[in-house]
Amino acid sequence: MNMTSSLKYFFLLSLALVVSISTALLSHSVAAETSSGYEDEHEGHAEEVRKGPHRGRLLAKGDFEVELAIFEKGMPPEYRAWATVGGEIIAPADWSLSVTLMRLGGKVDDFSFSAREDYLLGAGVVEEPHSFDVAVEAVYQGQKYAWSFPSHEGRLEISTEIAEKAGVRSDVARAGSMKQMSHLYGRLIADPQNISLVQARFPGLIRKINVSVGDEVKAGQVVAEVEANESLKRYPLRAPISGTVTQRFLNPGELAAEGPLMTIVNHQQVWLELNLFPADVRRVKVGQAVEVKLGDTLVAGKIDHVNLGSGSALAATARVVLDNKEQRWPLGLMVGADVVVGVVNAPLVVANSALQNFRDWTVAFIQVGNTYEIRPLTLGRTDGEVTEVLEGLNLGDRYVVENSYLLKADLEKSGASHDH
Amino acid sequence: MIKQILQFSINRRWLVLSLMAVLIAIGAWSYQQLPIDAVPDITNVQVQINTEAPGYSPLEAEQRISFIVENALAGLPNLDYTRSLSRYGLSQVTVVFEEGTDIYFARNLVSQRLGQIKSQLPSGLEPEMGPIATGLGEVFMYSLSAQAGAMQEDGSPYDATALREIQDWIIKPQLLLVKGVTEINTIGGYAKQYHITPDPIKLLQYQVSLEDVVDALQRNNQNRGAGYVEHNGQQLLIRSSAQLRNIADIKQVTVTHHAGFPVPLSEVAEVALGKELRTGAATRDGEETVLGTAFMLVGENARTVAKAVAEKLESVNKTLPAGVVAEAVYNRTTLVDKTIHTVATNLLEGALLVVAVLFFLLGNVRAALITAMVIPLSMLATITGMVQVGVSANLMSLGALDFGLIVDGAVIIVENTVRRLSEAQSQQKGRTLDLKERLAVVYEATNEVIRPSLFGIGIITVVYLPLFTLAGVEGKMFHPMAATVVMALVAASVLSLTLVPAAIAIFMKGKISEKESFVIRGAKNIYRGLLGFALKLRWLMVSVATLLVVVSAWLATTLGSEFIPQLDEGDIALHALRIPGTGLDQAVSMQSILEQRLKEFPQVDKVFAKIGTAEVATDPMPPSVADNFVILKPRSEWPDPKMSKQALVDEMVSAVTKLPGNNYEFTQPIQMRFNELVSGVRSDLGVKVFGDDLEQLLESGEEILHVLEELDGVADARLEQVSGLPMLSVQPKRAALARYGLDAGALQDWLATAIGGQSAGLIFEGDRRFDMVVRLPEVQRTNLHALASLPIPLANGAYVPLSEVADLELAPGPNQISRESGKRRVVVTANVRGRDLGSFVAEAQQRIAEDVELPAGYWLDYGGTFEQLESASKRLSLVVPATLLVILGLLLMMFGTLRDALIIFSGVPLALTGGVFALWIRDLPLSISAGVGFIALSGIAVLNGLVMLTFIRQLWHEQGNLEQAIIEGALIRLRPVLMTAMVASLGFIPMALNTGIGAEVQRPLATVVIGGIVSSTLLTLLVLPALYRIVHGRQNID
Repeated sequence: MNMTSSLKYFFLLSLALVVSISTALLSHSVAAETSSGYEDEHEGHAEEVRKGPHRGRLLAKGDFEVELAIFEKGMPPEYRAWATVGGEIIAPADWSLSVTLMRLGGKVDDFSFSAREDYLLGAGVVEEPHSFDVAVEAVYQGQKYAWSFPSHEGRLEISTEIAEKAGVRSDVARAGSMKQMSHLYGRLIADPQNISLVQARFPGLIRKINVSVGDEVKAGQVVAEVEANESLKRYPLRAPISGTVTQRFLNPGELAAEGPLMTIVNHQQVWLELNLFPADVRRVKVGQAVEVKLGDTLVAGKIDHVNLGSGSALAATARVVLDNKEQRWPLGLMVGADVVVGVVNAPLVVANSALQNFRDWTVAFIQVGNTYEIRPLTLGRTDGEVTEVLEGLNLGDRYVVENSYLLKADLEKSGASHDH
Repeated sequence: MIKQILQFSINRRWLVLSLMAVLIAIGAWSYQQLPIDAVPDITNVQVQINTEAPGYSPLEAEQRISFIVENALAGLPNLDYTRSLSRYGLSQVTVVFEEGTDIYFARNLVSQRLGQIKSQLPSGLEPEMGPIATGLGEVFMYSLSAQAGAMQEDGSPYDATALREIQDWIIKPQLLLVKGVTEINTIGGYAKQYHITPDPIKLLQYQVSLEDVVDALQRNNQNRGAGYVEHNGQQLLIRSSAQLRNIADIKQVTVTHHAGFPVPLSEVAEVALGKELRTGAATRDGEETVLGTAFMLVGENARTVAKAVAEKLESVNKTLPAGVVAEAVYNRTTLVDKTIHTVATNLLEGALLVVAVLFFLLGNVRAALITAMVIPLSMLATITGMVQVGVSANLMSLGALDFGLIVDGAVIIVENTVRRLSEAQSQQKGRTLDLKERLAVVYEATNEVIRPSLFGIGIITVVYLPLFTLAGVEGKMFHPMAATVVMALVAASVLSLTLVPAAIAIFMKGKISEKESFVIRGAKNIYRGLLGFALKLRWLMVSVATLLVVVSAWLATTLGSEFIPQLDEGDIALHALRIPGTGLDQAVSMQSILEQRLKEFPQVDKVFAKIGTAEVATDPMPPSVADNFVILKPRSEWPDPKMSKQALVDEMVSAVTKLPGNNYEFTQPIQMRFNELVSGVRSDLGVKVFGDDLEQLLESGEEILHVLEELDGVADARLEQVSGLPMLSVQPKRAALARYGLDAGALQDWLATAIGGQSAGLIFEGDRRFDMVVRLPEVQRTNLHALASLPIPLANGAYVPLSEVADLELAPGPNQISRESGKRRVVVTANVRGRDLGSFVAEAQQRIAEDVELPAGYWLDYGGTFEQLESASKRLSLVVPATLLVILGLLLMMFGTLRDALIIFSGVPLALTGGVFALWIRDLPLSISAGVGFIALSGIAVLNGLVMLTFIRQLWHEQGNLEQAIIEGALIRLRPVLMTAMVASLGFIPMALNTGIGAEVQRPLATVVIGGIVSSTLLTLLVLPALYRIVHGRQNID
């Protein structure tokens, strides 16, 4: 062996080693960088679910393999199933299948299957949420095959202790009534029948006025005496209505002619005239109950009149006659009022605080023991407190009323997948 | 020239010695200036520009602020790139400059440009630059709390607002004065505000708009000067003061006149102290608190600043109202002290071991002391150099210092001189040498070995050079290390050229006792036998060595690998991530449960968190993200002090994942801050999609995500979370608006004031100033159902409900909008597991090109760590061989023959072999730290060979008998070779064994060096002579 060649060999090796170490250092992985930072890794489901060519779940026993898929492209979700033996697809007529879904809360859905083109079709719609324990039974050539597996979505478990700490509270879903309200504003005005401008019947000199501004008068009470110009006789002026003298225009010694002497207003009853905007006009009807907020007190009343206006300007109003015997409210006061435009008695309502947006749904969470699961809801009317449930929840279900956001947050944090 | 210097040093030995005093003085002074921190700063040169835009949604913030700011900054000199983030109420533009740009210069440029665009931004918005700090800047944090029973002056307990007031007006101003502090950032509590909340019905009653209320307040809240008059010879200043001082004053302000009577504000509105619409909150141990963070100015000494802040906080505490306490919750000093303690112990123990070995092997105290003297002196010189170059003292920069390596040159010189002196003495039959003779011997002995030893040091220095070619984060971690080592080596070589001979000349007088210690004698005996054996079986030796190299090369590929070992900071930080759109109050209550759980761990001392964005948006997070800091008790207080931190973290992970609604990322405080600042893409692969339309970007992003998800080896593939922020959008109905004489602007103004609130001036309480805000009462603002019927006043005194003129709709909107280099972008990130990165990236690129079709005007950019890796490995694969060639060239210069150079060079792979084995035995992964160890090894190996071969060659040339020369030379050099090897490896032993804070970074390096030196020494002693015999034996025969 040539000496120098052995040296060259050494040299080459050293180069190779140095280079290999440095490249190994660098090229290996950066994964180390994350692993050194104690990153918490959620690996999702530990169990690998095998998928078939129709993106359905594969169930196998020996040679016999069933693919069970939920088909929901542009249609209500339904079950479809294919079967193979040793990879060879078998005709749907040659085998039979039944699927049982056990949902949280004890509801059980049974599906029987019938043959279509190359698959078996489950009878009926697979309702959302697709979260259940599945039991599958297939029969092929007299042989029974059975599988069962959980297929959960939108389900989570929280220990009682933590739920309590986090303020997750639930209630039973029951029937309820909803007041549908329209919030309107308006002004207190005097009832036109309760304003009287006291006028002298015959022009003449005012001899005497018995009342001054602020005095209470009774109907028929003599409020002034006037000496008629023509007869020069004194005649009394009587108050046409009971009320308060709010204005006095003339004094004794002055001539009562065209104008009124005084104004008497009866404050016992006032009108609340509420402005109606086009959207309100459709909903506000005579006879509807009204809650008027006067200062800190709530006064009940009803719509006595709806006036659609007379001129070109938008000026529809609704009138509420209010009792003001205690003389608590000044005329001209601006007030807000809630008109009960409809009362709906719904067979099933949920508290609005229970509702959350989850994917494309509005959901509530039902509770069974420590387990919570979404219930996509179809909702009806609401009054801001509770909402009518048309579909998705049953009477008597326990659902989460307080801090349901936490449940949504927990489901979405791991990017819950819509998978079957 | 070397000869002249040597001659000078020996002749003017006292001068040289006194020069050392100067060196000591300069070094000691420099030590005072040396910035000390735990880790090197890896932040890039960047300027953050934050613009607070209250009420702006992400879209508006981007459109009206980020875009303008970004464009204004385009084309700055030394600009690397800009990126921006637009969130609710905040626009943040980060300008990254090229490495080495002076931060003050950069800020100056930015500030000039910002001045120019002021007129283009919406009025009232003020872009501000972030604090002049780096990722290491957050050196100190403290939290405020009130003791149970502590009451405010008015008898109510301290709430978050009151604590915040104390922080803002008592603590912060004082801490800002501490030298080296550039910012005190507050998060948590509520800034005190005076809230004027008009009742919409009352407004209608008196026909007052919200605007009128704001106007009235503004017009009645001013102090004015009115010049002066002279009166009886004295000058009287005239001043009218109408500033509102308290709630009673505010209530008296006249808003309007109704039927001739003035209407006071109290008639139409409630006035009370209220809570601001905050963007961040802070919690500690499950309770809301106020948290202050001290930012250290760039380039200051973290330890000093944190200490100074802590001291100041102590004295500030005395000025706080009774019962209120500001307590330090995070203090960098602790970490720095621990790390520096680790490094210092390592260095000290290493130095002591070196001295012990020297004494043991030289058998001469004086000689050992002279050699040991080089250690502190070169250390002082290094510190001086570090201060000059601006390298801070930290784990990395001091981590590779091995005193054994540093004194190698000195050891060789001292050893030779001692040997020669004692030889000379024995020739004189016990007579002590006179001065002249002594000096001559010293000169000769030094001269004999100075070249090889300088050469050796030179080579060790050269091998560190590839480290300087590392770029990016690795560069920032390892440049200081390389710089420090090179400086130390240079200092040591200068010292061995000057001080060492001078000191020997002065101190080595009298009888030189050079007892060959029994160790050396024994070693020589054994070695003699082995050497003869090795020379006989030289082919076998070489083959075995080759085999070992091959095996170790294979072994190297089986080792795990780690890019940069992570410094254990002792404390834990974790991000708690919640779904976008989570409100602050919800986040606080979720946080509270999390903290209570963490606090249950007996190892945990304190838990605190920052939720959302602080006052200064140095780290803009949405309310759904919380930075948690878990401060651990000292290990001695743990139930099981031996429990590893990883085990604790694992326990915590499993405990907190049980809490609903949170996702977590565990990290460490400094690491977390670095990540936030360096940001960019932190995964292996990042695919950036640039374009205009957010929807389209999201769609393309999702397509790319699908492609990536289907590749082999993919992990954690994610699309940037850009959407999903719930919004209540108020869409004006234009026709309806017109019917009531309104326009969209009027509607929006009303909405902004009614819901968001409008500032109506300030209330001054002494030096403290608080905002007055006009907005609707809380009940009205927060009831979404009632929002629709809120009356909007019209010009004619009438009103219209909101639902009449606008559609209200709940719909998710963009959560944040990111831009990079002036364009909108979304990022899809993925990591790679169990597959090599290169092929993964290539496949991803190909698949994306095939499967994803981008509309015109959209483009992709690939980034991520793979880029850095690629460029780094490319660069290293050029630089490492080049360095080896340089070494070879140096050797060639020294020996003049390629053969001898190659023989010495063969020591390199042999040395690396031991390093690899050592790693394998200790089960450590390959890392850059270990790589630095290999680099140091190559140098030591060459030095060993050099020392041995020069002698053999010299003897061979003198005596002419190859075999005898080899044996004799090898035996004479046994001692220095053993000595240099032992000092170098023993110097590293403390590092290899230490388990203190920070040791994990040094451990791989030290392990490699120790292992390598053992193999290198063995092989230098046995294989090298054999190889020399083979090569030159043939030559003789020829």
